[in-house]
This record gives sequence, structure tokens and C-alpha cells, in this order.
Amino acid sequence: MAVISNTLIAGFNDPVQDAQQVFRAALKAMSEPGTLMACSFTKEAPEGLDNSSWQLALTLFDADTKVWLSPALAQNDAVISNLRFHCQCPLIDNTAEADFALCNADELPFLADFNWGNAEYPDQSTSLIVQVPAISDEPFWTLTGPGIETQRSLRIAGLPEHFRADLIRSRQRFPLGIDTFYCCGDQLVALPRTTQIEEAC
Amino acid sequence: MNAATATGYNFAYLDEQSKRMIRRAILKGVAIPGYQVPFGGREMPLPHGWGTGGMQVTASVIGEADRLKVIDQGADDTTNAVSIRRFFASTAGVETTEQTADATLIQTRHRIPERALQENQILIYQVPIPEPLRFIEPRESETRKMHALSEYGAMQVKLYEDVARFGHIATSYDYPVMVNGRYMMDPSPIPKFDNPKMDMMPALQLFGAGFEKRIYAVPPYTKVESLDFDDYPFEVQSWEENCSICGSNHSFLDEVIIDDAGSKMFVCSDTDYCRERVAQQENPA
Ligand SMILES: [Zn+2]
Repeated sequence: MAVISNTLIAGFNDPVQDAQQVFRAALKAMSEPGTLMACSFTKEAPEGLDNSSWQLALTLFDADTKVWLSPALAQNDAVISNLRFHCQCPLIDNTAEADFALCNADELPFLADFNWGNAEYPDQSTSLIVQVPAISDEPFWTLTGPGIETQRSLRIAGLPEHFRADLIRSRQRFPLGIDTFYCCGDQLVALPRTTQIEEAC
Repeated sequence: MNAATATGYNFAYLDEQSKRMIRRAILKGVAIPGYQVPFGGREMPLPHGWGTGGMQVTASVIGEADRLKVIDQGADDTTNAVSIRRFFASTAGVETTEQTADATLIQTRHRIPERALQENQILIYQVPIPEPLRFIEPRESETRKMHALSEYGAMQVKLYEDVARFGHIATSYDYPVMVNGRYMMDPSPIPKFDNPKMDMMPALQLFGAGFEKRIYAVPPYTKVESLDFDDYPFEVQSWEENCSICGSNHSFLDEVIIDDAGSKMFVCSDTDYCRERVAQQENPA
């Protein structure tokens, strides 16, 4: 559980107010799936993390949340030292036990490897935070469902084919499922398990 | 920290660890509309009648940029509504308002404002009993199973007993709804008059039950249907009278005794809506 001091960076300038504003951005993102939000309450992130995923970690992770990191992040001293120092979150090896998983898009495991919750407690699922190379509202995915008045367009670059297909199919297992955040730089977008996704061919 | 904030307290009174826990529960609630998310931690020590669940949700959501409105049975000026507004004004330094249109957060007990809520507003309900099936099945393990299997026949039977006994569905408050076609949800003790406002509402709706430690949510633009039967469709309350103050023929009315002889009048339960209508009649735009 070592923390390497020369990799440590500052967290929020004002931990109370900044965490509140990042939470509100995350809440709006989750309530209005596909809506692009921007979070810029930190000047820098540990090398290897996007600014928005770092801010989500500072806002939502703590000693009560088990966090799984994708391989490159799990081997990154700056990432693990800062998460341990600022969030005190236990870092775990088993995806199925994760409350949160923080992943690079090109390292995503199979969606089935995470915890989807159970019929009585579907909330006990893994929440997934994926760092992606680009997010835009170009028409690629057409989103419908709660939080969307008619439909919304979204394009997330860099997601593996198996992940996109499994995510789209996972909607059939509602209320079980995985709620997802996608992060790129300061940008943040969310797709809860209720969002139906249609992919342009 | 805002200079107006009372010193010696956490922002909005609640400690940051509790806020994080509640925030995580709120996000899960939004992702599973109508499903009751349990949350841990201790109860917020607050005066009786303030609705600790609603207070915990408000304290976890509120920020310096918010304008808070608090209503109790539709009114902004009851003792509880005034005290809760003052509490957040002093512990979070936020602006407060009585005007529905100006509020970013509205904490409510027992009503939904008459004025249609907008995107970017959040309505936070104080909930005494979050489980709609509790009076049918007291065991949490069993109601969990009923929700898991969408086994909601017992509620239909209960409502139909009303029909058999009274010739109509007598339940007029706490009237159960189905959220997004999947979860049965208790809308809190609002009059069923307000149920249709929940359907496809542009604002986010959050529900907090402090004693049972449950949070649930309805995202914006989500289908919310009141339970009914083909031969006994859902109906809301209506009045023969109009509001004695603003003349409204479409708002929820409270009966008020006005003298010792027991004379009555009917007035809007939503005091801000009534005020707004009177102001418009005096100064038509
Ligand atoms: Zn009136």
C-alpha cells in the first residue's frame, strides 16, 4: 500500500465545493444520458488519467468503494499513489467485486466480467468509468430511454467492438446492468443501464 | 467558503463522507428509475417533522449556485418550510426563494407545484414510507422479491377492493405508480391529483426516506403511470368550487374554515401559484 510521494499532485482546490459541482455534473450526465458535460475543477490529473475521470474519482471514491483499474492504470505509480492518497479507496484485482472500475478504452475487459447486481439489489453493480480518445454528438449511436425527451446522438471513439455489442445487448437484462461514464480530457458523458442504444451500421 | 455560511458546521451540515455515500446512491437511483436504493450511515439529527431523508438528499445535492424553495403541503410559509429554508441559508449560504420558476432545487413535503417544472430543476421529496407494498407485506426480504419478479398483483387486488366497497378507487394520497414500466413506486403522500405531473416531467425527481434509509429517483422525461383498471380508469380529484383568492378552476384546493360559524372557503394549496395568478390579474403582461 505504498504511496510514492514524488508522484503526488494536488486534488481539488476546494474539496467541498468542487466535489459538489462535479457531482452535479455527474448527476446531470446520468439523468440526461448522452449529454456532454465539462468538469474543470482540477488543473492537472495524475499522468495516465483524464481530468474528468480524476475528478469523478475525487468525488465518488473513498474507503468504502472497491476500485478495479485496467492493467496500464494498475501498473501506473502516479495513478495508484494518488488514488490511495486522495481517495483511500481499496484497489482490487477481481472485476466482479468492483464498486467502480476505471479503465482505458483499449483495455476494457468483457462486460460480463463486472458485477451486474442481482434481482433483489440491482444497485450492487459495478459502475464503470472509461477513458476514451474522443466523445462527440455526431450521429453514430442513437439513444432513447429515461432522461431523453425524444432521442440523442452520441459517438464515443475507441470502444472495442465486443464492448459495444455487449453494452447494447445488456439492456435486455434490466434491471441488472452496468452504468457507464465516459471521460476524455475535461469532458464527461454517461449512459445508465436504461439507455437503449441503436448503432448506425 | 461563502462568507454567509455559518462557521463551525460542514457545508450544508452533512459531513463529506455521508454526502459521498448519498451521492453514489442517488446516481444508482437515477440509473434504475423507481427502484429503492438502500444507503448506510447514521441518521441526520434534525427536528422531528423535517423529513431527514429529504434533508440528506438536499444537503448532498445543494451548492452555492442553487436557489432553494421549500414547500410543506404546497405552502412556503409553514413553520417547517421556513425553518428548513433558513437552515440551508445559514449552513450552505444559498439563496432561497418562494417562487417555483426561480428555484433550482425544490424540497417538498406532500405536494408538487402547480406550475410546470423545467429542465435543470430538481424536485426533492420527503418520504415517510418508501415501500408501496409495505402494508401488504411487512418483510423487506419479501417485498424485495416482489419487486424483483414484478409481482404487483397484490396492489391491484387492494385497489380493486376499493372499487368493490366504494364503487371507485378511494385511495387519494400515496397513490402507487409504475415507473418506466418496471418498478412500482410510492410517490410519497402527495394527493393523486399530482400524480400526472410526474409523468414525463422535464425536471429530475429525487426521493429520500430517512428512517428506512432509501433513496429513489425518476429521471427527466420518464414514464410514470398511476395504477388503474380498464373499467375504472385513474381519475384525479376535482372541485365544484374555484379558488376564493385567484379564481383558479384547475389547482388543488384546500378547504379553510374562515369564522366561528364554520363558514368555509376554498383556496389554492400552492401558495406561490395563487400569488403568481393574483399578480398577473393585477398587472396583466
Ligand atoms: Zn388560488
